[in-house]
Amino acid sequence: MRRAIDDAEAVTRAREGDLDAYAVLVTRYTLRAHRAAFLLGAGEEADDVVQEAFVKAFRHLSRFRVGEPFGPWLLRIVSNETRNLTRSRRRRAALALRLCTAESDGVAADGPVDEVLAADRRARLVAAVKTLPDRERQVLVCRYFLDLSEAETAQVLEWPIGSVKSRTSRALNRLRGLLVPEERDRISNG
Amino acid sequence: MADRAGWQRAVESELRAVGRELEVPPPRDFTAAVRQRLEGQAVRRRLPAGGTGALRHRLVWRAALAVVVACLAVLIATPQGRAAIIHVFRFAGVELRQEPGPAPSPGNSASLPGERPMSLEKARHQVSFPILVPAALGPPGEVVVSDGGRVASLIYFRTPYGQVRMDEFAGQLDPVYFQKIVNFGDVTEVEVNGTKGLWIKGPHVLVYITRDGTSAAASARLTTGNTLIWGTRQVALRLEGNLGKTAALAIANSAH
Repeated sequence: MRRAIDDAEAVTRAREGDLDAYAVLVTRYTLRAHRAAFLLGAGEEADDVVQEAFVKAFRHLSRFRVGEPFGPWLLRIVSNETRNLTRSRRRRAALALRLCTAESDGVAADGPVDEVLAADRRARLVAAVKTLPDRERQVLVCRYFLDLSEAETAQVLEWPIGSVKSRTSRALNRLRGLLVPEERDRISNG
Repeated sequence: MADRAGWQRAVESELRAVGRELEVPPPRDFTAAVRQRLEGQAVRRRLPAGGTGALRHRLVWRAALAVVVACLAVLIATPQGRAAIIHVFRFAGVELRQEPGPAPSPGNSASLPGERPMSLEKARHQVSFPILVPAALGPPGEVVVSDGGRVASLIYFRTPYGQVRMDEFAGQLDPVYFQKIVNFGDVTEVEVNGTKGLWIKGPHVLVYITRDGTSAAASARLTTGNTLIWGTRQVALRLEGNLGKTAALAIANSAH
């Protein structure tokens, strides 16, 4: 019998102990989970975090309500594991937020002026995001880098939705403060 | 100050753009490691608490592991009315599942969710990734954007190879766009523009997977001809048609 296996079926079967069905979920969500762990601060240790998260998720599958989306549910575990890691690491995570180099993108430093300016502007934005307090950075990572909705962000970070909204707006204000004196015109016009 | 809201909108879209450009190293393949640990857990639960000597303990462990693995294998091998999963892996936003058994036969009038035909120019504004056009085929006969800008498809109605379709999506960022159910031996690794690609020989079942992980039943179809999947850093592509490997690689190499 050949047909697609969607998340709900894979979860149902995995709960019954079907490790092949669970492998479908691991395969399907590895990239998203790894990206979340990496950007939320696990950096080089993202691989270990994600592996641990997948093992824990399997153990906790009985708590998963069939019908709810699997992605945010898994990312909550990933974000939890990442938090445990960064806490135990003591020192503030040397944030591995880095833009792909312009050269590898075919936009060399001597490329068209507006492309160089855009690349420069984005590099400053990343640098500003790195300096934000942890929670404000996390909310921006979830909302914009991982493209999660407010509700999904609330679930992943285990915050009330009100905190997601207020921390997002605080973070954006802080970015404005960091960037505006020199960047306001270019960002708002660009 | 007056344009605070405007600034916020601009910085939000800038942050999204930055998100797509952040360098994230590729993850390891955890599937086997996770599986091994979960199998280990299953064994531990079955073992009586407290060992009688390390060696004996280790022997019991191994025997139990063998038994459990065998049991699991039997359980897995005989699911009633369920799709068998033999081997599953992911490449450039496409999940490939290898299965034994006869060729599939779903309907052929399939579509992706929310298909909207539009000009190439308009499509470029509707999606978050660069749309590549193969110079070898020229401008497409039709451009379709689906699922709210998640996929862009270039359709060539008349080529030396009949109808050719190229689906493009941000396969490096998001998990899975398409699930392919393929036969053993149909998939080989190739090189496209110096990076890895997959060449899939012959028709196979193709299903579109939405962002929340459900398969779009109406999208299931049998592919025509052969398929090539590859990706650049920003976009993943699948080229489908009655093409030989050489022609497909030439088209892929001309896409920019």
